[in-house]
Amino acid sequence: MRNQLKFRSIFPVVLSMFLLLAGIQNLYAQNAKKNKIRLKADYVKIMDGDAYLDIKVTTKIKKKNVKVANIALTVYNEFEDEKIKLGTSTTDIKGESIFIIKNVDHIKADSTNTYTLKVSFTGNDAYKKASKRISFKDAEIAAKLISKDSLNYISATLIDKSTDSVITGEALVVQVQRLFSPLRIGKEFNNTDENGTIIVPIQEGIPGVDGNLIIEVVLDDSDTYGTLKTLINAPIGIPIVDESSYDQRTMWSPRDKTPIFILIFTNVFIIGIWGVLLYLITNLFKISKSKI
Amino acid sequence: MEENKNSRRKFLGRGLKLGLITTIGGIGLTKLATKLNAKNDAHSGKIMELMTTDGALIQIDSSEVMEMDHSQDHDKKYNVREGFPNRKFVMVVDLAKCKNALKCQSACNKHHYITGDNAWVKVYKMQESKDTAPYWMPTTCQHCDKPACVTVCPVDATFKRRDGLVLIDNTRCIGCRFCMAACPYSTRVFNWSEPKQGETSEITMEMDIEHHGHAASDPDHAGVPSIKGTVDKCDFCPHAIQNNELPHCVTACPNGVFYFGDKYEDTVNNGEETVRLSKLLTDKAGYRLMEGLGTEPSVYYLPPTNRLVDFEDGLEHYPEFQSVEKP
Amino acid sequence: MKNFDTLIKDLAPKKFGKRGVIWIGFLLIIIIAGIIAYIDQIIKGQVVTNMRDYALWGIYISNFVFFVATSFVGSVTVAILRLTNNTWRTPLVRIAEIIALAAIIMAGITIMIDMARPDRILNLFIHARLQSPITWDVIIIPTYIVISLLLLYFPLLPDFAILKKYFKTKQPKLSKRYGFLSLNWIGSKAQKLLQEKSIKIIAFMIIPVGILLQTIDAWLFSTTYRIGWDSTNFAPYFISGAFVAGVGALVTVIYVVRRFKKLEHYITGSHFDKMGKLLALACLIYLYFNINEYLIPAFTAKKGEAVHLETLFSGSYATLFWFVTIVGLIIPILVLLFKKGRKPLPMFFIGLIVVIGSWWKRFVIVTPTLLHPFLPIQGVPESWHHYFPSLHEWLITVATLAMALLIITLLVRYLPVIPIQRTADEQGLLKIDKNTKS
Repeated sequence: MRNQLKFRSIFPVVLSMFLLLAGIQNLYAQNAKKNKIRLKADYVKIMDGDAYLDIKVTTKIKKKNVKVANIALTVYNEFEDEKIKLGTSTTDIKGESIFIIKNVDHIKADSTNTYTLKVSFTGNDAYKKASKRISFKDAEIAAKLISKDSLNYISATLIDKSTDSVITGEALVVQVQRLFSPLRIGKEFNNTDENGTIIVPIQEGIPGVDGNLIIEVVLDDSDTYGTLKTLINAPIGIPIVDESSYDQRTMWSPRDKTPIFILIFTNVFIIGIWGVLLYLITNLFKISKSKI
Repeated sequence: MEENKNSRRKFLGRGLKLGLITTIGGIGLTKLATKLNAKNDAHSGKIMELMTTDGALIQIDSSEVMEMDHSQDHDKKYNVREGFPNRKFVMVVDLAKCKNALKCQSACNKHHYITGDNAWVKVYKMQESKDTAPYWMPTTCQHCDKPACVTVCPVDATFKRRDGLVLIDNTRCIGCRFCMAACPYSTRVFNWSEPKQGETSEITMEMDIEHHGHAASDPDHAGVPSIKGTVDKCDFCPHAIQNNELPHCVTACPNGVFYFGDKYEDTVNNGEETVRLSKLLTDKAGYRLMEGLGTEPSVYYLPPTNRLVDFEDGLEHYPEFQSVEKP
Repeated sequence: MKNFDTLIKDLAPKKFGKRGVIWIGFLLIIIIAGIIAYIDQIIKGQVVTNMRDYALWGIYISNFVFFVATSFVGSVTVAILRLTNNTWRTPLVRIAEIIALAAIIMAGITIMIDMARPDRILNLFIHARLQSPITWDVIIIPTYIVISLLLLYFPLLPDFAILKKYFKTKQPKLSKRYGFLSLNWIGSKAQKLLQEKSIKIIAFMIIPVGILLQTIDAWLFSTTYRIGWDSTNFAPYFISGAFVAGVGALVTVIYVVRRFKKLEHYITGSHFDKMGKLLALACLIYLYFNINEYLIPAFTAKKGEAVHLETLFSGSYATLFWFVTIVGLIIPILVLLFKKGRKPLPMFFIGLIVVIGSWWKRFVIVTPTLLHPFLPIQGVPESWHHYFPSLHEWLITVATLAMALLIITLLVRYLPVIPIQRTADEQGLLKIDKNTKS
């Protein structure tokens, strides 16, 4: 009886020792290996297109920023102490992930018409958990191409969707889409006037495929509205002409486009000489077969 | 009294023993639990050495690496001998900015797994005459519009594309080296022996091939892998272009020396600024190497005026007899 | 006809003596060593040579050019001398044809040795680009091989018939082989007509084809931008160089064959005298082209040319350059101007010097230019700034030379080195003439 009692009192002590030790072990193990990751998330909305979060995950190895692949992320909409899960995403081999916000109407905004999203990483064996909050208000750019006195302009208006009013004094960038990076048209900062509008002249002589230019008007990384982009098709470029010699017969063309002169000369030579050689060989046969 | 002492001793003794066992057991269980957890996330403890996009080597557990979805932008009618439609690729090298940092060379060497003794990007120490200033001149293949190398190839192994690139089909090359004799820019290199691209690089190379979605030794990704007895050279990185990325030498250069772009779009980009090609060439008096030979190269040079750095700074690490770093 | 019988006895092929067997054995050893070295090259790649990215062509190519040049002797003696009615050429033509055939066959083999991927040789035919000078080479060399073979074979037909009869009792098996090769030759009118017409056609054709062969060989170099190669002079320079190399080789081989087969009655001092004059003429023409090639660029001394010429005249290749020019060209000219210099033994040494000079001359043409590219040689190991062939290259190259000599030796062994029927006809005619005169 006595022993039983003593056992009963020993047991929780021992159990707590065990748990404590195990807990210390675990914590120590966890903290010893894990690195910190840095989450960068930008809200981007393309007019008549997708709205998405452009997420980049990096970590510091030997003081250098290294991209981290295969990080599982969850995106939430934070609304009045609620965390509504919007979806998940994993970073690709470049440590980046595009999380498309399927339906902006489904996200809830707070009283100031600000949407708050949180990108969260629960951590794994290699990295500690991390999260990043992004806040933005819904806005849009309405842009069009104007032709006045045979000059072309881009006119764009920035509108705050929540209040349906124009936004003044924000800098917009106007650029034409090019292969690696867009080419800027107009000034570095085109500030919207009291009507929330900018008018930027497009210089002449910009080449484009079939004369078509795709012009972007961009609100770049605004603190309030994120990044907004609209695309305009402007058939005002100089059509691209293929200047390559690929279709011509040249000395450096592949064998199916040999210059005519060479084709003729070599074939005449080969047929001529080898024709004679074959004739001579037949002569040998004739000699062999002659009877007299 | 003695009975109490004994029972206390017994108690303590049992307690200690129990304590020890549980502690050891606890530690063991924890470790087991961690390992089990670890096994759930990691399939193997195999460590792979990989190369990041900026040329750094990192070590990752091989389970962290996942297969890429190939970019589905591949037009099914893409002909590797014709190239990207509606493009004519050009490069502009700003000699005023070159410090002989040689980052272009190391990036190119890493991304094309170059293990021979001759790099594809070479930075020459140039001085035309005694009284004219010395300068550093990076050269790549000039991707000439009238390529002497293509003209003399007897088996159509090297070819000129519509988009301006001159590429090599290493599965067809017979190793006669006539193209190397014909090139006036000395830009072609030869694989005299089995390329020692190494065990580690083989894994990375296979992943690279899968990631870019092309066959091994594809002309669009030269050197992956290289083939013994054939010729190699700079390819202007079509494998990067297809992913909307600039060639590796362009992104690696810390001084913005290389501009790259599409002549038809009249736009070039050095990783930081995007400028109109025609304006750049007019403003800075661009020229081409050995123009008089009539090769019509696709690489323009901007003269080394208004230098941002001293020529002598580049002499510090000028490897006269080396262009490929060996492990 | 007692004379005819002696003629045949003198000219018929004889078995190898002891020296012959040793000679063949010696050649075979060299050839086997070369084959082993070549197999090693196939396995390890051309890294076993000392060629690298700058000296990208080495003695394989200069050896190839040498063989192509030497094969010109067929066109010269057989065709050019024939067209100019030089009847003294008769005892020399067969040896000339044998040398030409051996040289052009070895040229074809040597160029394949330089290819780093010989397993892809069919690409040269399946994917051939007609714009490339190498493709022109691929066309012209087999053409020249076939023409040389026919030019050797047609005049042999009557000789094979004669030899069939000659060996019928002594060596019946050999006799049967000659019989097979003689294509049932009986000297009938129809056969003679066919044969003579054919020889006329071949002799006529081999001149432009031979000249084209040397020209295309030159174009392998002069279709590039390189200093020292980009010369409008190159094709005629190579043609005249081939003339020199060919006649030099002819003189050397004829001397040896004459000695070992005791043909002093047929190949007389007069023949050597005439060959000496021909060689002197060839060397003078070649000297003329050398002056145009090396002296005139020094006049304007453009930077690239000046550097190249300085390397040849006083720099790292000076010894070789002056050796091939003075010893290989100028001294032969001087010696050959004197009648005493055109006697058989001096001619043999001159021929030998000319051949050796020709071989090294082509080395001087190929290598220095490659080590002076337009852009400075930087960023490569120090050893890449120079070139001297490796052991593998020497073994393989010497093996190709030995193989050429082996072909010549075997052909000289089994073929009548002096056309029997032709000589008989000519001497027979002379005999009749003598009779009528006296």
